[in-house]
Amino acid sequence: MPEAVIRVHEEFGEVTVYLQAGHLVRAMKLLRDDSAAQYNQPLFVTAVDWPDREPAEPRFDIVYQLRSMQHNDQCRMIVQVPEDAPRVPTLERVFAGMDWHEREAFDLLGIEFVGHHDLHRILLPEDWVGHPLRKDYVSFGEPVAFTHNLEWALPAAERPRDMPGTTR
Amino acid sequence: MAVMPPPGGPGLPTRNAESDAFDSGRNLLGVDTANDAIDLVQLDDDTMELNMGPQHPSTHGVLRLVLQLDGEVVRECRPDIGFLHTGFEKSFESHTWQQCIPFTDRMDYLAPLFNNLGFSLAAERLLGIEVPMRAQYLRVIMCELTRVASHFLWYGTSALDLGATTPFVYAWREREKLLDINEVVSGVRMHTSFIRVGGLLADVPDEFYALVNEVVRTFPRFIDEYELLITKNPIFMERTRGLGVLTPDDAIAYGATGPTLRGSGIPYDLRKAQPYSAYDHFDFDVPIGSHGDVYDRYLVRMREARESLRIIGQAMANLPGGPVNTSDRKVALPPRNEINTSMESLIHHFKLVTEGFTVPRGQVYQAVESPRGELGFYIVSDGGNRPYRCKVRAPSFSNLSALPHMVHDELIADVVAVIGSIDITLGDVDR
Amino acid sequence: MGLSVDAATGLPILNAGADAGAIPLPRVGDLERTAAKAGAITTSIEKVIQWGRYSSLWPALFGLACCAIEMMATGAARYDMSRFGCEVFRASPRQADLMIVAGRVSQKMGPVLRQIYDQMPEPKWVISMGACASSGGMFNNYAIIQGVDKVVPVDVYIPGCPPRPEGLLDAVLKLQTKIAAERPSSLRG
Repeated sequence: MPEAVIRVHEEFGEVTVYLQAGHLVRAMKLLRDDSAAQYNQPLFVTAVDWPDREPAEPRFDIVYQLRSMQHNDQCRMIVQVPEDAPRVPTLERVFAGMDWHEREAFDLLGIEFVGHHDLHRILLPEDWVGHPLRKDYVSFGEPVAFTHNLEWALPAAERPRDMPGTTR
Repeated sequence: MAVMPPPGGPGLPTRNAESDAFDSGRNLLGVDTANDAIDLVQLDDDTMELNMGPQHPSTHGVLRLVLQLDGEVVRECRPDIGFLHTGFEKSFESHTWQQCIPFTDRMDYLAPLFNNLGFSLAAERLLGIEVPMRAQYLRVIMCELTRVASHFLWYGTSALDLGATTPFVYAWREREKLLDINEVVSGVRMHTSFIRVGGLLADVPDEFYALVNEVVRTFPRFIDEYELLITKNPIFMERTRGLGVLTPDDAIAYGATGPTLRGSGIPYDLRKAQPYSAYDHFDFDVPIGSHGDVYDRYLVRMREARESLRIIGQAMANLPGGPVNTSDRKVALPPRNEINTSMESLIHHFKLVTEGFTVPRGQVYQAVESPRGELGFYIVSDGGNRPYRCKVRAPSFSNLSALPHMVHDELIADVVAVIGSIDITLGDVDR
Repeated sequence: MGLSVDAATGLPILNAGADAGAIPLPRVGDLERTAAKAGAITTSIEKVIQWGRYSSLWPALFGLACCAIEMMATGAARYDMSRFGCEVFRASPRQADLMIVAGRVSQKMGPVLRQIYDQMPEPKWVISMGACASSGGMFNNYAIIQGVDKVVPVDVYIPGCPPRPEGLLDAVLKLQTKIAAERPSSLRG
C-alpha cells in the first residue's frame, strides 16, 4: 500500500515505516493477513513525545510494533499526530491484544484512540489529572532534605502545611 | 444472607428444570417430591458482582479482579490493574543509562536479571559495542539460573494456590541455593544489577564455580521430586486439565508469549528464533504443550527448568577466559590499577561516574525471552546521557489481557488456578 | 532461710545493705521464691497479656512487590518465621494483628492500605519493610507514596532493598521487645 507510507527508515538492522493516520487500519489488516507478511502478533503501542518539534512537525510519534512468528520477523510502524489533535483510529478490532496497550497509551500520554469501546485509565487512579509520560509533566516525589531545605527532615506532621511538592 | 420471598408473598412455587434437577437426589433420600411441602424456587437470575483483591492471598501481587458471577460461574471478568504502578518509564528519562540498571531490576522482580539484560542489550546495540564472549557466557549462566529460580518460585506459589503446601517449602528451599549464588556474585540476594551496559558488574569469584556445578549436578533430581509431588496427583490433574484453554490463534491475537504461548502449541522461543548473547552456541530444546490448558503450561515450565540446567552445564563447561567488560573506555569503567597510572583512564573514570556515557541518536527494540514471555525494551535515544524514551514491553501485561477470555464460564476456584498458570508479576504488569 | 525479719512489719528484710531504711523496692521476694520451687510462675497480668500478644503475632498478608518475595522467603524453610510466632499469614485482616507493609505503595494502593489497616482489630502493629515502604525508596516520582507512614502509623522500619530475611526477623524481634514494654491497651486507664 504505497500511498499509506510516508517514508521508510532503517537503522540497527530494523525497519521503521512512517504511515499516514487515515490508512492505518487498512494497512495493519494487510500486514496481518497477507501471507508474505503475516505480522499477526501485537507487541505494543506507545508514543514518544517530542515537544520541541512543534510547529514544524507533529509532536507525538505513535509507535506500533508487530511480530510475525511464521517469518520470524518484526516491524515497527509510526504514525505522527500533532499536539492539538492526538487521535488515531483504534486497532483493537484488528488485534485483540491492542486493547490494553491503547488504554495504557491513553493513560500515560493522552493519546485518544477513536472507536475504542472503553477508553479509560488503566494504570493510574480514575481521577488522576494529567498524563505523566508527557515531557511537560513534572514528576514530583519529595525533595531530599539537605541543609538548605531542612524542613523536609522534620516528621510529616510537623512540616509547614503549604510546602510545595507535598503529595496528596 | 437470608433468602427472602418475592414481594407480594411466596405465591405458588415455580417448577423448572433447575428445581427438578434436585428431585432425583431427594427421591433417593426417601422424600416424596410430589407431595412435599418444600419446593425449590428460582428467585432471580441476575449476576452478582464480586471484587477479588487487590489484597488477596492468591492473586500473586496486587491485582484486582471484578467478577460477574452467576452462582459460582464467572460470566465476566474485568481485571483492574495499576496498584503497583511505579512510573518506571518516567524514572528512566531522568537517570543516566547506567543509573537505569537498578531500576530495571525492580520491574519483573521475580527474574530481575532479564530486565537488566534487555536494557543492556538495547543500549549496546545503540552504542554499537560488542561485549566479550566471557561476559556473554556469564550472562547466559546467570540468566538461566534466574529462570530456574523464577520457575521454582512459580511452582511453589501456584501449587500453594491450589492447596498443595509442600511444594512451596520444597521449591523455596532450592531457590535459596540460587539466591546464595546471587549473593556470592554480587552481594545481593535478589536485585543484583549484575548485568550492566558494556558487560557485567565484575568477574565472578572462585566460589561461583563450585556452587553452580553443584546446582547443575543436583537440581534435576530435585525437579524429579517436585514432579513426583503433583504431576500425577489426581486432584491436581482434575483441577487443571482442560481449564483456562487458550487456543493458538487467541494466544497470538492477544500478544501472549512465553510458556503461555508455548502451552498452546506454538514453538516460538526468542532464544532460538532471534538468538542474543551467545544463545546459539548452546544446544537445548523448547518444550511445547498441546492443549493450551493450565496443566500443559505447568508441564512446559517444568521442562523448561530442566532445559535451563542443560544450558548452564554447557556454558560452565565451555566458559572462556578474558575480560568481562567491553574495552571501550567511554562506556565501561577502567580497571582500578590503570587509574593510578594513566591520565586518560582517570578522566574516563571521572566522566563515566559523574556524567555517564552518551548514546548516539536512534531507536531500537530488543526483546529477551524471560520466564514470563517476551520482555522487550524499545529505547529511543536523542544523543544524550539519558534515555529519551524507554518503553518496556512487559510480557505479563499482554498475558494478563488474555485472562478474561480464559476464565469465561469457569468457576471462581478455577480463576485462581488460571492466574497461577499464566505466571504474572504485577511489577511487570504495572511498571 | 536465713533472712532477718523486720520487727515492725513482720516482712523479711531483703535489702539490708546500703539503702536499708530507704523505700523498699519490689524484688523477687520470699513468696515468689517459694511459689517457684512449687512449680508456679508469678508475674503480673499485664506482662502475661503482652507476652501472649507478642509471641503469636499473626501477620496480615500485605505483600506488594519485591519485599513480599523476601517476606515469603522468611516464612519458607531456611529462615522460618514461625519460630517467632508468626506461624500463619492470615488473609483476612480481621484475624490479624500485624501488618507488614512489604513493597512500594502506589497512589492507587494508598486508600486500600488504609482500609486494610482500619479493618484490623486492636491491638495492631505495623512494620514498614524495605526502603520503598519506609520512605519511597528509589522511586522519588509521581507514582509512589513517599513513605507509608503518611497513611498508617508505623512501629518498626526496616531499611534495605529488599531487606534480608534476617532483617525482617530482627524487626519482628524488636517489635516483640516493644510490645513487651508496652502496657496492654485494654488495661490502660
